[in-house]
Amino acid sequence: MSSFDGINPPKFTNNIGGLHPINQVKEFIVNLLKDYGFQEILGPEIESEEYNFDMLNIKKSHPARQMHDTFYIENKLNVLRTHTSPVQIRSMLNSNPPMAFTSAGKVFRKDEDSTHLPMFHQVEGIYIDEEVTFSQLKDLIHKIVHSIFGEDIQIRFRPSYFPFTEPSAEVDILSEKGRWLEILGCGIVNPVVLENCNIDSKKYSGLAFGLGVERIAMLKYEVDDIREFYKSNLDFLSQFK
Amino acid sequence: MKVAYKHLANCIPSRPSIDDISEKLFQLGHEHEVHNEIFDMDLTPNRGDCLSLNGLLRDLAAFYEVDINNDIYSFNINKLDIDFDNRATSDCSHISFLKIEIAEDVRPYKGFLRDYFKDLGHNKNNFFTDVSNYISYETGQPTHCYDALKILNPIILHTLDTKQEFETLLGTNIELEKDSLVFSSNKKIINFAGIMGSKDSACSSDTRSVIVECAYFNPESIIGKSIKYNLKSDASYKFERGTDPLSHETVLRRFLQIVSDHARVESSEIFFKNYQKHIINEIPISVERANKILGTSLNKEEFSDHLKKLGFILKTNKIIVPSYRRDITNENDIAEEIARVIGYNNISSKTFSIPKVENFNQEDSDLESNIKKLLINQGFLEVINNPFVASGKTDSIKVDNPLDSNRQYLRNGLETSLLDNLLYNERRQKDSIKFFEISNIYVKNQEIQNKKVLGIICSGRVGKNYQEFSKKIDIKFLTNLFKEFFPETKIEPYYLSRENLDSKLDNRIVYLEIELDAFKKYDINYFEKLLEPTKLSKDNFIKYKPISEYPSSFRDLSFSVKDVEKYYELQEHLLNYKDELLRETFVFDYFINKKNNEIKIGFRFIFQSNKCTVTEKNVNHVMNAIIESSLQIDSVALPGYK
Repeated sequence: MSSFDGINPPKFTNNIGGLHPINQVKEFIVNLLKDYGFQEILGPEIESEEYNFDMLNIKKSHPARQMHDTFYIENKLNVLRTHTSPVQIRSMLNSNPPMAFTSAGKVFRKDEDSTHLPMFHQVEGIYIDEEVTFSQLKDLIHKIVHSIFGEDIQIRFRPSYFPFTEPSAEVDILSEKGRWLEILGCGIVNPVVLENCNIDSKKYSGLAFGLGVERIAMLKYEVDDIREFYKSNLDFLSQFK
Repeated sequence: MKVAYKHLANCIPSRPSIDDISEKLFQLGHEHEVHNEIFDMDLTPNRGDCLSLNGLLRDLAAFYEVDINNDIYSFNINKLDIDFDNRATSDCSHISFLKIEIAEDVRPYKGFLRDYFKDLGHNKNNFFTDVSNYISYETGQPTHCYDALKILNPIILHTLDTKQEFETLLGTNIELEKDSLVFSSNKKIINFAGIMGSKDSACSSDTRSVIVECAYFNPESIIGKSIKYNLKSDASYKFERGTDPLSHETVLRRFLQIVSDHARVESSEIFFKNYQKHIINEIPISVERANKILGTSLNKEEFSDHLKKLGFILKTNKIIVPSYRRDITNENDIAEEIARVIGYNNISSKTFSIPKVENFNQEDSDLESNIKKLLINQGFLEVINNPFVASGKTDSIKVDNPLDSNRQYLRNGLETSLLDNLLYNERRQKDSIKFFEISNIYVKNQEIQNKKVLGIICSGRVGKNYQEFSKKIDIKFLTNLFKEFFPETKIEPYYLSRENLDSKLDNRIVYLEIELDAFKKYDINYFEKLLEPTKLSKDNFIKYKPISEYPSSFRDLSFSVKDVEKYYELQEHLLNYKDELLRETFVFDYFINKKNNEIKIGFRFIFQSNKCTVTEKNVNHVMNAIIESSLQIDSVALPGYK
């Protein structure tokens, strides 16, 4: 019998691959929302102007609808969706309250610099029921933000403007360096949007929110330049496995 | 928009500090930065009414007593007999003109006009244009000044029948497209409506007779024009966001007052025309509704008080919305106004729960997760690529307004993107590359079709370990990978040619692209034995370390070890060896030589710096330390090393 019988071979290192860091963050948030009771829904990345804008109360004069902000295709017949909200619109048209949906995926805007890309990822959520209030929205947002950034993180709400919510808010967290950083947008669903989806806005109200996945990933992983996520650099991607 | 702290504070008798005003502006939803006592405002697009000193003061009135300057020309002004023809009343529903003639001398600027240029550092132009710019800053209403001697009646507002050349007051020549909204006089364009005036009709320092135009343009008639023609102006920014159609008389009287403060006015005449009745928004008073939206318990007094401070008029049963608040149309808007005054952060949270339901699409989601799990267990990394490519095929979808010509089509496959990913990493000396991507692909035949596809690209060594280091990736590697898990799925990878590629390597590139639907039949139990990929949890977010763009360098060492315990010790020592330049270590060779009673184990050390290219000397220095420390371990030898 050899003195080497039963010897353990060398450890396998670096053998396992990994999910893309953006998909890891996206899944993390979606799973969090599923735990709260949201149903995950999917939808097309090519959308009509009707679903991407009109149904969401985004008027023709809104800057987001301009050629410098939105990618149009087929001679302006359709757009690359600028948010995942149209997925929610489609589901709202086919369901009755109470309902809670989350949609996540790629979205497209005509923008490109160290903090913006023409393609990025969003996770959105909407909850429609009787007497949904801004106070409840605040509770939900606190839960989400604390789950991502920890219980000790300081949060503030600021009034903002989204045509599909009213009141609308942007939410900031206080960084370790003492700067307020914007992390998500939210609000009470505009009654116009409910009516567009054949939901009685006198009886029902809703809350909605949306997070930019890259934004959360940049803050959590401390990546300064959003473009790093999409260079497909093996040394970069290997760090997240 | 920039607003001086001093100008705001001058209108607030309590003289709040700059920090206090800043805090209140944030509470109201008006984002800004402060530099040298100047607020650089970044207002939301629905608040065009706040694009002025007075606009911000109207909102700050929610917190302070404010004293907005209303020093307007209060004397009678004669009617201006102007031959104006509005052929575009749907684009411009309200318009006014003020004609002023002054005597020769203009006195040095004083009061608000002086402070505007001094405190904000704006360049002066000529007297009337300077007053116009100040009026826009103070009231939010853009006005346009024509030198009265340079234009002839009639003035016509119309849309162009054909393309026409236009020279802006900045001297830029542009060709305005058909349907552009313009003011014309004597068959020449004198103003690209709402955007910029012409050079020919502009005022100069010699102008003593001016026609001031004050208009309300439908935002939809203006939006996008300034960007399209690269003619950014304060006026277009404001008209795009909406101005107050009922403010014209006040604005023009204010204009005349400032002119008369600086020059002797010889004559003044005014013209007003409304082509549509402005509809005042009225919203029912419902404190209960506001409380239901916000989750608050306000009483009627608090409700009324908050709204009155913001300029709303409360009648018995209804709220009259000021004409400058075009954004207020329903009870939710009213609730937001209340919330802004209370402060969003002062509204308390209320816990609630959503009834749980079964999730849709679970089957599709499980399939995708299992495919990812399978690939990750074989060392594949997931990539995400953007969908824009330079060229398309007959079924490709073209983007109407691409970012550039290299991104004018939507990709109809993943091969080009994944090949780019592979070459990018080969150029960075990577010799084992295994990537996959799952993405939706859109093509157009009769109609738009969508399919979800898996793309895999791999090349080089199978793995960075002693079993796979010498094996090269080939087609069999990929087919075997799927065989066990998806025996019924036809897997047909192929080699990509290196011809015409910017690459000096000769490793074969294996590529596979397959629709996810092809994997529908499989046994989920097979996947249970696989390792779960790393997934995020609350506490395991890693901190990213910046990657190096400098070249790497490697060294191999092959040790001989006689004692099993020392073999473990050597591994532990070298796989955990730390040095600033040492990026990666792995075992690339291992076998037991029973004849010589020794274990042969080979390590590869990869060096790379984030600051510079690593030198031979740097690497040797670390290697010597590694060798010396390794040889300290009993029974460890480095054959051939002296």
